[in-house]
Amino acid sequence: MRKRNVQAIGRPIVARFSSRDPRRSPLLLAAALALLATLLLLGPLAVRAQDAVSAAPAAVVWGGEAKAVATPSAEPVAAADTAVATAADMPAQTPAQTPVDARGIDEQTQQLKKDAIDLNRELFMLEEELLFPANTQVAVFVSMDVGEFFALDSLQLRVDDREVANYLYTEREAEALLKGGVHRAYLGNLKVGEHEMVAIFTGKGPNQRDYRRGATLKFNKAVGAKYLELKITDRQRRAQPEFEIKDWE
Amino acid sequence: MGALMTNRRWRAAVALLVWAAGSSMAAAGTPGTPAPDFVLRSAAGPNLRLSENRGDVVVLSFWSSRCNVCRAQLAELDRLYATYRPAGFVVFGVNVDDDAAAAREFAAAQKLQFPMLFDPAKSVARAYRVDALPMLVAIDRFGSIRHVSRSDKSTAVTDYIPVLRTLIDE
Repeated sequence: MRKRNVQAIGRPIVARFSSRDPRRSPLLLAAALALLATLLLLGPLAVRAQDAVSAAPAAVVWGGEAKAVATPSAEPVAAADTAVATAADMPAQTPAQTPVDARGIDEQTQQLKKDAIDLNRELFMLEEELLFPANTQVAVFVSMDVGEFFALDSLQLRVDDREVANYLYTEREAEALLKGGVHRAYLGNLKVGEHEMVAIFTGKGPNQRDYRRGATLKFNKAVGAKYLELKITDRQRRAQPEFEIKDWE
Repeated sequence: MGALMTNRRWRAAVALLVWAAGSSMAAAGTPGTPAPDFVLRSAAGPNLRLSENRGDVVVLSFWSSRCNVCRAQLAELDRLYATYRPAGFVVFGVNVDDDAAAAREFAAAQKLQFPMLFDPAKSVARAYRVDALPMLVAIDRFGSIRHVSRSDKSTAVTDYIPVLRTLIDE
């Protein structure tokens, strides 16, 4: 039932958003965000409800046994027979029915979770589209090559003398970069025109010494998205790391 | 007329956004909500991120070098950490001192086995609504806050053991 609601309410909202009607967008975005917040809040409750339902068959069996033991003793023999018959009948029916019900509820819960995740993804993409329109968008990526002479610890990013990002890298993240991963360190908006970006890298340099190095790039932001890459490479000849900012045209 | 309607829509949108933000943020950092992720520098050197410990039961112990009860609690936590570490139990000591040097000195003197993290900007303390020291936050294997203790007794950690066992057994 809930699944239908998600599909009935969630999908059309996303569909309407993509129509890019400027008058509808803010209200619908707010409604969608409110729906997402509600779903996220209800998620754990749904899981707990499912756990409770899964635990139910055990409770039924135990209830049956308890009932058999607690039968009034006015007719002890007959009552005992009834109790035995009840207890004997119960296991034959209960396990056959309850697992199926539990499985059905489990499947519905999983489907609901999947719908919530899909909706979350669509809203995330939509949010990015609205918050960072293509004509003002600037994205900065970090990549590393080899990394023999430099172990990345943190990155500070300044655009036009304003700090826009300050990121601490864990060992796992640094390893991921060395394996070819690319990290989006910043996503923001800039006006059309000249801008200056300064990236300050800190980490361990050659011989495990603390290392701090900056790289600067002046770039022209035109209409359209701008992508910049901060590239850390090893300069074998000088046994030093090299930091460069590449402008993706 | 059209402008008036647009204006009304904007107001409604702002009100909805405020409501949505309020409903999601009001409970942030409290039991039953997802634990806010963070990355902090550790005394041992590497930066540590909370979400990289998903799958383990994590206890955050907020402390300060000027807090005597914190010292006793950290020692107790260290004993627990040694016992339950193989079962997937992690402790992060989060220092909230302004003076990082004093905090490092304190942490070194304690000779604790678990990672000590430094939060001089208090961003993590704010996210977890730390309003008293010491403060313990228990996070389950799924990354949700399950228990918060603001007890200033040195035996608070011992009293906490049943809660931790429950989380570890889950």
